[in-house]
Amino acid sequence: MISVKNLVKRFGPTLAVDDVSFAVGQGEVVGFLGPNGAGKTTTIRVLACFHSATSGTAEVAGFDVFSKPVDVRRRIGYLPENVPLYTDLRVEEYLHYRAALKGVARKARKAAVEQAMERCGVLEVRRKLVGQVSRGYRQRVGLADALVARPPILILDEPTSGLDPNQRLRMKSLIRELAEEHTILFSSHILSEVSEVSSRILIINQGKLCADGSLQDLLEHSGSRQLEVTAAMASTELVASMEALSSFSTCTVLGDEGGMVTVSAKVLGSEDPRDAVFAMLREKDVAIRELKLALPTLEEVFREATSGGARLVESAE
Amino acid sequence: MNVVLTTLKKELMSYLFSPVGYIIAVLLYLYRGLEVSMVAAAVSSGGADRDQFSAAYVLQVSSFIMILLVPPILTMRCFAEERRSGSLEVLMTAPVRDWEIVWGKWLAAFIFFVVLWAPTLLILFFMTGSSFLDTDLAFGPVFSGYFGLALVGAMLLAAGCFTSSLTDNQLLASLAAMLINGALIMGPGLLSPYLTGIEGFEATAQTILEQINVYDHLTRWFARGLIDTSQIAFYIGGVCFFLFLSTKALEGRRWK
Repeated sequence: MISVKNLVKRFGPTLAVDDVSFAVGQGEVVGFLGPNGAGKTTTIRVLACFHSATSGTAEVAGFDVFSKPVDVRRRIGYLPENVPLYTDLRVEEYLHYRAALKGVARKARKAAVEQAMERCGVLEVRRKLVGQVSRGYRQRVGLADALVARPPILILDEPTSGLDPNQRLRMKSLIRELAEEHTILFSSHILSEVSEVSSRILIINQGKLCADGSLQDLLEHSGSRQLEVTAAMASTELVASMEALSSFSTCTVLGDEGGMVTVSAKVLGSEDPRDAVFAMLREKDVAIRELKLALPTLEEVFREATSGGARLVESAE
Repeated sequence: MNVVLTTLKKELMSYLFSPVGYIIAVLLYLYRGLEVSMVAAAVSSGGADRDQFSAAYVLQVSSFIMILLVPPILTMRCFAEERRSGSLEVLMTAPVRDWEIVWGKWLAAFIFFVVLWAPTLLILFFMTGSSFLDTDLAFGPVFSGYFGLALVGAMLLAAGCFTSSLTDNQLLASLAAMLINGALIMGPGLLSPYLTGIEGFEATAQTILEQINVYDHLTRWFARGLIDTSQIAFYIGGVCFFLFLSTKALEGRRWK
């Protein structure tokens, strides 16, 4: 549904997006993660046809965003970051106006607006001026606007920013509900909500895409994995044997309890080293009590990816 | 067309719900009423040339205020406000073409401008047949004069849309539009002595200046009941030119 290839966007001397490639398939919910100023909004604005790219290509629903912007916009529902709406219109009027602008037929307009309002929980403020509703409601009005023409793709830029914890919870469950019918690309810098809602995660930092995969993939292939081995072996010998496998960078002795030594080692590369360690210890005929691969948290993956660590891009197909 | 009409409707509602239009209307009607009663009094007392009645009726100080200052005030928020509040992003990411939004906004401003003007004609109807105005006065040129004012207003509103599309500062947009309006209305007259003085260029300069002299069109043509199609084409061309520039200025955001 969304395909981005070698996208580059410069603002004068500033390189905002640097050779980014990714794809979003039908029915996927993809979280676009990155620190502030990483290039998330710029990439999203290119996909929403608000900015052009300096080079590279981007297609949404099979239409090129540069040569067929109107066709692309017909197929997306876009929620911009700060939800800039017309504050002098009532919620209902605003959604009617947007439905008309998006080409929803006059006869179907009323039902479309009602459904979008109901879905996003803004029925109780329908007669209020947009400028008078709370931030949480405004965000939901923005989402109702994105939904009103029932587009197959939703592009949501920081949909939970500025919301209190309860509103954030509601927004997350709403996105989960919408995922049943729409392909969703949403950006955020809050890790927990991305991991809770999305089926795939893209991490962007300083304009570069540095991770692309499901949460499990990212955790399993992260360079922050630790292998903990507890075996009946002298600590120096165990450390030396582990280091000889060249799958680990640093080995630390965590404890020695009744002859059972526990060593923790940072795993290099993306392979699972447990089989190799198990085979090595069996060969030495050593009793093994525990062999545990500790996966990092998403926070650690994010920190690693955004601090110039190993790139975790698996594929951009 | 759907987008143009939707934009037109929404913008027209914004004008109708904004206090600016009503403040302009009240001030205009009060001042215009005063001016017209003075013209009528002069005509009825025989102190004014009856043949010059329509020109005097159309071309009052308020007319020039209305075409010089009011279009920039009406159009300054068109795009500048959208840029400032960020709603331009919401607007331009809907399935719309830039020109549809530009034409919709201009049409709304033009209709509101005409609606502001129209009641000033009512003063004429109320006074006709009274002791102030005879029914045998020539009223045709008054209507052609108003038609001319509407045409000039249409072009200056388009110029206002253009300046508003360049900035997010409404004040700057309105000041720039007032400068353009001033240049369009008075520029040809002011430049005339210099350009027609260039040797070998006199006739060409004279023709060009006559064609683009907005002030001259109003005073010597429309207000006297003369309607020239080349002048109509000039104003329609002016509208298209400024709205084309506005569209390009909006498209410019994509190439930043």
